[in-house]
Amino acid sequence: MLKILIPTLMLIPTTWLTSAKWLWPTTLAHSLLIALASLSWLKNLSETGWTSLNLYMATDPLSTPLLVLTCWLLPLMILASQNHTTTEPINRQRMYITLLTSLQIFLILAFGATEMIMFYVMFEATLIPTLFLITRWGNQAERLNAGTYFLFYTLAGSLPLLVALLLLQNSTGTLSLLTLQFSGPTILTSFADKLWWAGCLLAFLVKMPLYGVHLWLPKAHVEAPIAGSMVLAAVLLKLGGYGMMRILPMLEPLTKELSYPFIIFALWGVIMTGSICLRQTDLKSLIAYSSVGHMGLVVGGILIQTPWGLTGALILMIAHGLTSSALFCLANTNYERTHSRTMALARGLQMALPLMTTWWFIASLANLALPPLPNLMAELMIITSLFNWSWWTLALTGTGTLITAGYSLYMFLMTQRGPLPTHIIALEPSHSREHLLVALHLLPLILLILKPELIWGWTA
Amino acid sequence: MLSRLPRFGRTFPRLLSDPPARFVSQSKPIGAAGSTAVTELHPGAEQTGHGEVSRYVKNPDYHGFSSDPEVDVWNMRVGFFFGISVALVIGGTFIHYLPDHGMRQWARREAERVIQLREMKNLPLIDENYYDPNKIVLATAEEV
Repeated sequence: MLKILIPTLMLIPTTWLTSAKWLWPTTLAHSLLIALASLSWLKNLSETGWTSLNLYMATDPLSTPLLVLTCWLLPLMILASQNHTTTEPINRQRMYITLLTSLQIFLILAFGATEMIMFYVMFEATLIPTLFLITRWGNQAERLNAGTYFLFYTLAGSLPLLVALLLLQNSTGTLSLLTLQFSGPTILTSFADKLWWAGCLLAFLVKMPLYGVHLWLPKAHVEAPIAGSMVLAAVLLKLGGYGMMRILPMLEPLTKELSYPFIIFALWGVIMTGSICLRQTDLKSLIAYSSVGHMGLVVGGILIQTPWGLTGALILMIAHGLTSSALFCLANTNYERTHSRTMALARGLQMALPLMTTWWFIASLANLALPPLPNLMAELMIITSLFNWSWWTLALTGTGTLITAGYSLYMFLMTQRGPLPTHIIALEPSHSREHLLVALHLLPLILLILKPELIWGWTA
Repeated sequence: MLSRLPRFGRTFPRLLSDPPARFVSQSKPIGAAGSTAVTELHPGAEQTGHGEVSRYVKNPDYHGFSSDPEVDVWNMRVGFFFGISVALVIGGTFIHYLPDHGMRQWARREAERVIQLREMKNLPLIDENYYDPNKIVLATAEEV
C-alpha cells in the first residue's frame, strides 16, 4: 500500500520543486510510473483474497481494479489538462497538479481502507478537491451553481451514513471490513431499522447517482474542467458502487424486500436518462447523462446481490470508467477547437480530423457495449441476473440497451458525419498528445478483453 | 533544491487577485446542465492558438504539449515511452505472467482434458451417481 501512497505523496514536492520548463513531463512520467507500480496489487496469492494487509489498509479483488483505475487516471488527467492550463501562471499550474494528486491520495485511502469509518472520512474528503476543481477551474459562471449542487447533494446524502455507521459500531463493536463480513445476520424488524438500512445506502445511491438524485451530476460534469469530468466519471462515481458492495452484506435480511423500489428506480433511470440523451444538444451533458444510465445498471446489479450481478457491476464500473473518460477527452478536443459544447455547432468533423473520428468511433462503440468489449460482458451479466430475478426487468433493460445504442450512434453521427459547417474555417489539426490520451484510455479497455478475471472481483 | 521553496510564498497573493473576468454573474442558468453558449471567460484569442499565427507555423512538428519546441518533443517522448512502452507493454507482460491464482486456469484445462477423454471412451461426462450411493449413510425414518 505504502509503495504507492508514498510515491503519490512525493508527487506534490516533485510538482513544486521541478523547474517550470519541465513541470509537465516530470509529473507525467512520475504518475505513469506510479500507475505501473500499482499493477503489482493485481498479484493476489492469498487464500482469503485480502492482500497488502497492514493495520489500516488492505486490498482484495473488489478494490484492486478500482485502485489501479484510480492510479491510471492521474497521468491521463495530467495529459488532458496540459493544453488548457498553458495560459495560467506557473504556480497555478502547480496548484492544479497538486489538487489532482491530492484527489488520488484520498481515493487510494478510500478504496484501500479496511475500516468503514476510514472509508467514510476519505469518501467525504474527496469532495473537497473535486469541489475546488469544479468551482475554481470550471469555464463558466454556472460552475458555482454546479459546485453547490454537487456539495449539498452528496453531503446531505452521506450524513445519515455517518449516523448509521456509528449505530453499527455500537451494536457490533467493530467497523472493520475484515471482521464484519463474518458477523451473523442481525435481527432488523423495527421501523427505525428500516431507516437505518436506507441511511446506510443513501450516500452511495446519491453518489452513483441513482435516477432521481442525479441532478448534481450533469451540472458538475458540464461545468468541471476536463480533468474534473474525467475523474468524476471514471472514479468518483465508482466510490458509490464500491461502498454499496461493501456495506450490503451487513444489511442482509432487510435488503431482499427493501431494495425492490430502488432496483426499479435504477432501471427506470436507464430508460429516462437514455431518452434525455436522445434529445441532448450539449455534448458533455449527453456523456454525463449516459453515465447516469450506465450507473443505473450498476445499481441494479449490486442490489440484486447475486455473484453474477456483483461481478457484472464491477466490470461495468471499470469498463465505463475508461469509456466515459475517453468520451470526455474527445469532447474536450472538440471544445478546445470550437469553444462550444453544442453539438450542432461542430458537425462533420470527419472531414477535418479523420483520425479523431476513428477514436470517436471506437469510444462510441464501447459506450454502446459492442462485443467483445468488457462493457458488453458486464451488461449481459447484469441483465441476466436481473432477468433471473424477474422476467419483467427485461422490458426495462432491453429498452435501455436499445436506447443506449441509439444515443451513442446519434452522438457519433452528429459530431462526425455530414458536411462541415461553413463557420468552421480554422481547425487545428489533432495533436499527438490527444491521440496518446485516447489511446491510453482505449488500449487498456481492449486489453481487458484478454484477461477479464482481473476485474471479476470476488467471483474470480 | 531548497532555494526553490520561496515559490510557495509567491503563489498565494496571486491566487487572491483574480482578474475581474472570473467574477460571476447572477443570471439564471438555462436548463439542468446550464448554458451551452460560448462564453467570454476564455483567454483572449492571441493566447489560445486561435489567433492569427497558428502554433504549427512556429513549430511544424508541434505535438500539443508545449510552445517550446524542445520541451514539446521531449514531453511527447516521455508520454509515449512511459505510457505505451513502460506502462502498457511492461505492465501488460507482468499481468500476463501473473501466477494462476487458486489454480483456476489449471482446473479449467484439466476439466477440458477429462471431457475429451470421456467423450472418446463414450462415457457420460459425469456419472449420475457422483458419490457412491452405498457409501452415503442416511438417517432412518425413526431418527428423523
